[in-house]
Amino acid sequence: MGEFKVHRVRFFNYVPSGIRCVAYNNQSNRLAVSRTDGTVEIYNLSANYFQEKFFPGHESRATEALCWAEGQRLFSAGLNGEIMEYDLQALNIKYAMDAFGGPIWSMAASPSGSQLLVGCEDGSVKLFQITPDKIQFERNFDRQKSSAVHKMIVDRQYMGASKRKCIVWGVAFLSDGTVISVDSAGKVQFWDSATGTLVKSHLIANADVQSIAVADQEDSFVVGTAEGTVFHFQLVPVTSNSNEKQWVRTKPFQHHTHDVRTVAHSPTALISGGTDTHLVIRPLMEKVEVKNYDAALRKITFPHRCLISCSKKRQLLLFQFAHHLELWRLGSTVATGKNGDTLPLSKNADHLLHLKTKGPENIICSCISPCGSWIAYSTVSRFFLYRLNYEHDNISLKRVSKMPAFLRCALQILFSEDSTKLFVASNQGALHIVQLSGGSFKHLHAFQPQSGTVEAMCLLAVSPDGHWLAASGTSAGVHVYDVKQLKLHCTVPAYNFPVTAMAIAPNTNNLVIAHSDQQVFEYSIPDKQYTDWSRTVQKQGFHHLWLQRDTPITHISFHPKRPMHILLHDAYMFCIIDKSLPLPNDKTLLYNPFPPTNESDVVRRRTAHAFKISKIYKPLLFMDLLDERTLVAVERPLDDIIAQLPPPIKKKKFGT
Amino acid sequence: MVQLRPRASRAPASAEAMVDEGQPASEEEEAEHGLLLGQPSSGAAAEPLEEDEEGDDEFDDEAPEELTFASAQAEAREEERRVRETVRRDKTLLKEKRKRREELFIEQKKRKLLPDTILEKLTTASQTNIKKSPGKAKEVNLQKKNEDCEKGNDSKKVKVQKVQSVSQNKSYLAVRLKDQDLRDSRQQAAQAFIHNSLYGPGTNRTTVNKFLSLANKRLPVKRAAVQFLNNAWGIQKKQNAKRFKRRWMVRKMKTKK
Repeated sequence: MGEFKVHRVRFFNYVPSGIRCVAYNNQSNRLAVSRTDGTVEIYNLSANYFQEKFFPGHESRATEALCWAEGQRLFSAGLNGEIMEYDLQALNIKYAMDAFGGPIWSMAASPSGSQLLVGCEDGSVKLFQITPDKIQFERNFDRQKSSAVHKMIVDRQYMGASKRKCIVWGVAFLSDGTVISVDSAGKVQFWDSATGTLVKSHLIANADVQSIAVADQEDSFVVGTAEGTVFHFQLVPVTSNSNEKQWVRTKPFQHHTHDVRTVAHSPTALISGGTDTHLVIRPLMEKVEVKNYDAALRKITFPHRCLISCSKKRQLLLFQFAHHLELWRLGSTVATGKNGDTLPLSKNADHLLHLKTKGPENIICSCISPCGSWIAYSTVSRFFLYRLNYEHDNISLKRVSKMPAFLRCALQILFSEDSTKLFVASNQGALHIVQLSGGSFKHLHAFQPQSGTVEAMCLLAVSPDGHWLAASGTSAGVHVYDVKQLKLHCTVPAYNFPVTAMAIAPNTNNLVIAHSDQQVFEYSIPDKQYTDWSRTVQKQGFHHLWLQRDTPITHISFHPKRPMHILLHDAYMFCIIDKSLPLPNDKTLLYNPFPPTNESDVVRRRTAHAFKISKIYKPLLFMDLLDERTLVAVERPLDDIIAQLPPPIKKKKFGT
Repeated sequence: MVQLRPRASRAPASAEAMVDEGQPASEEEEAEHGLLLGQPSSGAAAEPLEEDEEGDDEFDDEAPEELTFASAQAEAREEERRVRETVRRDKTLLKEKRKRREELFIEQKKRKLLPDTILEKLTTASQTNIKKSPGKAKEVNLQKKNEDCEKGNDSKKVKVQKVQSVSQNKSYLAVRLKDQDLRDSRQQAAQAFIHNSLYGPGTNRTTVNKFLSLANKRLPVKRAAVQFLNNAWGIQKKQNAKRFKRRWMVRKMKTKK
């Protein structure tokens, strides 16, 4: 495999924002997650829980409620008093309609999906009709008539006479007239809506119970508390053969450390998210038909796309945050050592640049050119391009002004290897090629979308010789464009799982694609067909442990001198695939670290296979090959993220 | 038998009462007192006063002085007049002070508000809502909240306000505040409510450091807290120490040479 010096980087201060609302869509098995900074992410639960789309956040948006309506339409309402609809095709916000009632605290869709109800601060509940284009205001209910509403309303009622006012965080209305409320005293209470009396009260926590979600069949519901515990309540018969049923608290789950602000109940799983930024999906064993690895707990913590770009020539790393970019130069060392040594730094890593974005919008994507002289990033409304100059140890920045209008909102930005061309995938589906020279740019060409449908995240890959450009993101498969002749060269056949990472190998021009179900394909661009190695792998199939990995592959890179090696990584491992070695079958050990040297050669040859996996550096956010003998690994320990979260509830433990 | 002290006569008692009002002792009063206690004399003739008031006891067998009623009355009236004068003077002084203060307040308030001419112009301008050409140097059109357009939707009820800036060879702009402010304040109030109910007083919250250190405390071999050192302690002291060390080194180098 070779010896590498590894730059182990831990100064990327990445802190994701907490989860505020989740909404589950049964028809398409998708989950919409809204975070406190306004970002809305869409996860495809059937594609191995991959985050396929996201809408960047905005500082003034304080989303309080998220819901799906008929026809796969997503609406959100927040404290700024507006109802927003999201365009899932173009990945932008269709419109924002002001409800004129003050801050909106809750929202629900009718079961038919054609009407939308919002609960506003001034006490009124407004009904909106969902038309094909927009939503239309229909009626206004006063506070007393709110019994016409079914499903969930969140109220801001003050009840109880304790020292602190008791706030009702969630209310659920069942079709048989039972109303379930969860409040900040830690109680789950069942009320009878006909008589208006309290039927049963469960005290389940010492802290607030902040969220509630009812299943579609209304025989179970889930609540989340501020201590991080999620409780499952089920309607069970009183004795084994009686018709009478009662609500019983069946299962507690402790997967969070901070407040669980939102829960959702899908037919087979409980979904919870909160201030500790994890998204936890817990399939229920009694609802799952096939008890295989799919029924395991899924915890999504790290982003499913790459937030770091690297300039190999100058050893620079560009980190993307929500509102700023940071440019760091890696440290250097002159010492040498043996395997496993930590070498002392002769020159520390340098924080070169802290670039803040103007305006309240979040940054969608960013990139630095391989030579290190250009930085480009994009928000929803603007595109920024900067030119960097290096004199001795100083660095100066100059912005390229007067961006053309079509470069407004870019989903993905990529520079060519020689840094003369910039490739921008815009959210209208077009792919733009811009020529950079000196301090100016010139628009060369725009590839328009094929059939007018654009969806999912767009990923770009360019070949090192600058001849080919691959773009994923349409349902037709990965398109490969010829940059020199400016036309479409070929299309990789479509696969039913989304692409998570792509890269083109030098010299051989093989396109390596990784999908969310952990399949890796290799496609030869000049030959317009899959390579032999890829066909062999597909025939034999991957090792079962490889397919059971939780996190998607986010980056692929190659060794300049060894064409048989592919380097890829996900959050908890990195792997070098050696195409010259035999493939492992299900019986061999997938993860075999370097065997001890006193083992005989025969044993070593028998256990050697193509997948060399190392779990030394985890959790990994980014890993790349800087040159032949150097790797850079950007890690983000979970404790460092937790250290920057808001304070949790105090737990008293005996002996402390 | 107890020997009683000679009592003073009735007429001068009124004068004494005047004295007891607490007026500053003047020469006349002292003289009066002396008159009362000392030899009887007539009219306003001021006899040299007896310093020693204790001479007013049994040793002095002289009869009290005779004082006509008229003179005493005159004195009393004088006193009254003087007192009235001082009171009146004080009142007028206070009145003037209050007046001056109010004027000062009015002036300050006036300074805060825009001058009348500008206000007039603004009200007339808002009524007519004219859009003037940007070529004019005096008036400029503004569109408030440009960032609304960046939300990417044109069908939203954009709160565009065509505002005029009234400037007479000056470069200030007058912007009319609409309900964007109201909306912001309501949103902030709502967010503050949520924050208060989750993290405000009365909630049982702990720091992240303590939370993560709970596990350390219950291990079989107890370990320190996750963030044990407080690096922000004594920053000034540490800086001073560093500076002192540097200076001392320099001094040492100098003396060595």
